[in-house]
Order: sequence, then structure tokens, then C-alpha cells
Amino acid sequence: MLDVGRHPNIELLSYSEVEKVEGRIGDLRVTVRRKARYVEEDKCTGCGTCTEKCPTAVPDAFNEGLGDRRAIYSYFAQGIPSTHTIDPDQCRQLKGKKCGICAKTCQAEAINFDQKDRIVEIDVAAIIVAVGYDVFDPSRIPEYRYREITNVVTAIEFERLLSASGPTVGHLDRPSDRAVEAQIEELEKKARKSQKVLGKLEERFGESSAEFHEKYQAGQYQGDQERQKWADKYAAHLSVMEPLEDLKKRAEGFTVAKRLAFIQCVGSRDFRFYPFCSGYCCMHSVKEAIIAHEHEPETRSTIFGMDIRAVGKGFEEYKIRGGDHSNITYVRGRVAEITEGANHNPVVTYEDTRERKVKSQEFDMVILATACAPTKGIIELAKVVGIELDQYNFVKTSPLSPVDSTTPGIFVCGCAESPMDVPESVAQASSAAERAAEIAIQPRPEMEHAVA
Amino acid sequence: MNKEILIIGGGIAGIQSALDLADMGIKVHLVEKLPSIGGKMAQLDKTFPTNDCAI
Repeated sequence: MLDVGRHPNIELLSYSEVEKVEGRIGDLRVTVRRKARYVEEDKCTGCGTCTEKCPTAVPDAFNEGLGDRRAIYSYFAQGIPSTHTIDPDQCRQLKGKKCGICAKTCQAEAINFDQKDRIVEIDVAAIIVAVGYDVFDPSRIPEYRYREITNVVTAIEFERLLSASGPTVGHLDRPSDRAVEAQIEELEKKARKSQKVLGKLEERFGESSAEFHEKYQAGQYQGDQERQKWADKYAAHLSVMEPLEDLKKRAEGFTVAKRLAFIQCVGSRDFRFYPFCSGYCCMHSVKEAIIAHEHEPETRSTIFGMDIRAVGKGFEEYKIRGGDHSNITYVRGRVAEITEGANHNPVVTYEDTRERKVKSQEFDMVILATACAPTKGIIELAKVVGIELDQYNFVKTSPLSPVDSTTPGIFVCGCAESPMDVPESVAQASSAAERAAEIAIQPRPEMEHAVA
Repeated sequence: MNKEILIIGGGIAGIQSALDLADMGIKVHLVEKLPSIGGKMAQLDKTFPTNDCAI
């Protein structure tokens, strides 16, 4: 990633979108919209002082909404380029309110609220489409109750919880527990404020609020307006403190998630959604279970699936190692339903096809191995670039030319073509690069490509 | 005659294509919709089957 930023032959156009493609193989003119970042790319040093001072918190898309970022942000800590970006939908200044704190704190003077989108035109010989995929939205499967049961998460959300650079710095804190902790923080803030007000009153009248309140309730200060106000403030303080104490007591019992259920084929191999196999999800779940066990050796994981598809170099061995050394149990069967038990624990109901029995089991967290869905933007992009899509909206290719689109000079690689894992994406990317290079260097690019 | 290549998407596939072409001495323009490149793989903690760091 770092190499892309500094390679002399690569011009990186981030935060940009392709709007128009004209011409034909060997001679294509591309129009690219460079969206306004409101930060000058050549001045921003990526120091991050602006994000520390920005008053607007927004759910962080990189962390799948499990953490917050600011209205001025770097997409993620090691992101290339390190240039920060202002989110125009969230920024107070850009929405017409008074702010501009980032501009005041930026020592490089990189903030420019007047920046506009720029249109650039590029002439190229060929195009490689590598737009990737979208994570399938599991709330389309009502019986899994994603979003209804807080401790049911997607594999990519779980990945962010496992990551040392994620919102929990790698601790497997359950989303329901994190919600309680956020509530505690909110109430503590309120309590500190009301405590401050009470402190002033206590100093003025020379007694503690509790002592005063007892006397007040006994009817000692009737008609005293000042003390009436004090009583109201004290009552408001208690209405914060009582739930706060309750929540704190609850939070004492919180531990990291140790009983994990992974559900395979969520959206894939399902005729209601995608009939195809997404390929990488079996190994993804095995990996997440192994890493979770590395973090917390008491972790026990159950992977529910029709079968575990460990097709790839070293994959089967990895699956077996997970079972032998990382407390993973593989259960053959599809999960019928997830319900919520006590303490926000998800309860999984499934058919164990080996024992031919319907069973239920309680877990701390459930992870959904979501399908690799075609990316939403690809329909529009296919029209712009002029290529055909297949019945699912992946880029159409043929078995003997797996990186050639239906239009000469336009190539495809990675999950834009079909679901695939990292090693396959890399191999296909090198293949697409080679096909594109043929056009860039050969004198007659319109020549037909020979296939085996 | 143009000798340059456009790549749309800065995930692992786009990055690999860009580096391969650039190393061949071909000028590449890499377009990414989001503020930073890296794509889904940058969101991953580790990769199977070696548990290597994804970034």
C-alpha cells in the first residue's frame, strides 16, 4: 500500500470517481471527478491535530460503525494518502454553522472550505476494473435478527473488534456491554455537571445536599424559593445517579465474549438471495475463531455450516489445526433461528444433521459469515465503462479469458469478477495487469487475443 | 498511441495490478472512491491461512 503512494509510475487519484469513458481499445479518454476534500493534498501533513479538535462525532465507516470518527478525518490510521478529508454532510462549517476550528488549529494551513470538485481528463490505452464487492446485508434474513439482537454481528464487524487498531483495541467486548459502558459514560458526564452545581449550593448554605434534602422533605424550608431550586437540582442529580449505580453494578460482571457461534452461508448458497458459494467465508470464520482463541485461551467456537469448504493451499490443514488447537467445533447443519436469551445472549436453534436432532445452544456472540455481494455502484460503472454484467451483477467474463470483460481493452480482477479470497485476487490482478500491458506496449492493440 | 493504464478501485486487486504495471515501466492512474486506498483487506486484522497481518 505504501509503495503505491511513492511509486514514480503511479498517479494516485483517491476520493475520485470515473464519470465518462470515450473511445476504444488503445485510445480511451477517461473523465474523472476529483471530489473536494476541503483539505489541500500538497499541504496536509496528516498530523491529525484537526481531528483532535473537531467537535462533530460521526460513526466510523472503516470500523463498521462500531466506533466514532470526526467530521474531519483520515479514513484509517495507516491510510494512503495520509491527507485528511472533511465530510461535507457532517462538517458544521460546511453546513453553514459557525465553526472552522480545524482551520484555526492546522499549522500547515491546509484547510480550504472553498475547495470545489475538479474534473480531470486522462488518456489511456486500457482500463482495469477492480471495484471489489459489498458485504451482504444480513438484516434481509429475518430469522437471524441482525440489528435486533445486539450481539449478532457480521464477520467484518467481528474483524474490527478483533483488530488491535479497532474500536476495542482487540478486546472481544460484546456490543451489548459496550452499549452499557457508553451509557455509563454519558450518565457520568451528566452526574459530574450536576455535582458541580450542588457543590456550589452546599458551599453557600453550609450543609450537604443529603442533609438539606432530609430537612426539606420534613417541611423545614417551606416558602424558601432558593432552597426549592436546590431541592429540584438534588432530585435531578439523584435521577441520574440511581440508574448510573445500577449500570455500574451490571458492568462489574462484564467479561470478554468466550462462547462464539459462527454461521456460514449467510446470503450465499441460499436461493432467496445468492445461489453461489462466496468461497472465502468458511476460511474467514476458521481464522476469526483461531485469532479469538489466541486473544483469550478460554474461547470456545462452534462453526455451523452445511460443509466447510477448505479449498486452497494449506486451507484444510488450517481447518484441522483450528479444531485441534483452538477449541473449534464444526457442526454440520443450517441454523434455523437466532433468538435472544438472558443477558443479551443469542440462542441458536439448529438441526444437527449428524445426530438428526433439532438443538438449541446459548452463546455470548454470534458471527454471521456474510455473502460476497456485487458492489452497488457497479451497475452505473458498467454503463459508464461500457461492459456487460452477469446475472448477479458481477463483471461478465468467459472461462478461458477470466480477466477480459466483454469489451476489448477493459479488464477485470478481484471480487468485481466473482467472489474470491486474497491470494486469488492477487493472482487475477497480476493477470489483468499483464493483459493491460499487452495493449500498452504492442503496436496493434486491436489484434485479437489468442486463447489456449 | 497511449501507453498509460487506468485502474478503477484501490483494494488489494487494484493495488496489485498498479504495482505490477508500474514495475514494468508503464504509467498507471489508480482511481479510488474513498479517501484512502486499501479496500476491504485493510479492514482485516489477519489473513488466512498464515495469520499474517493484513496491512
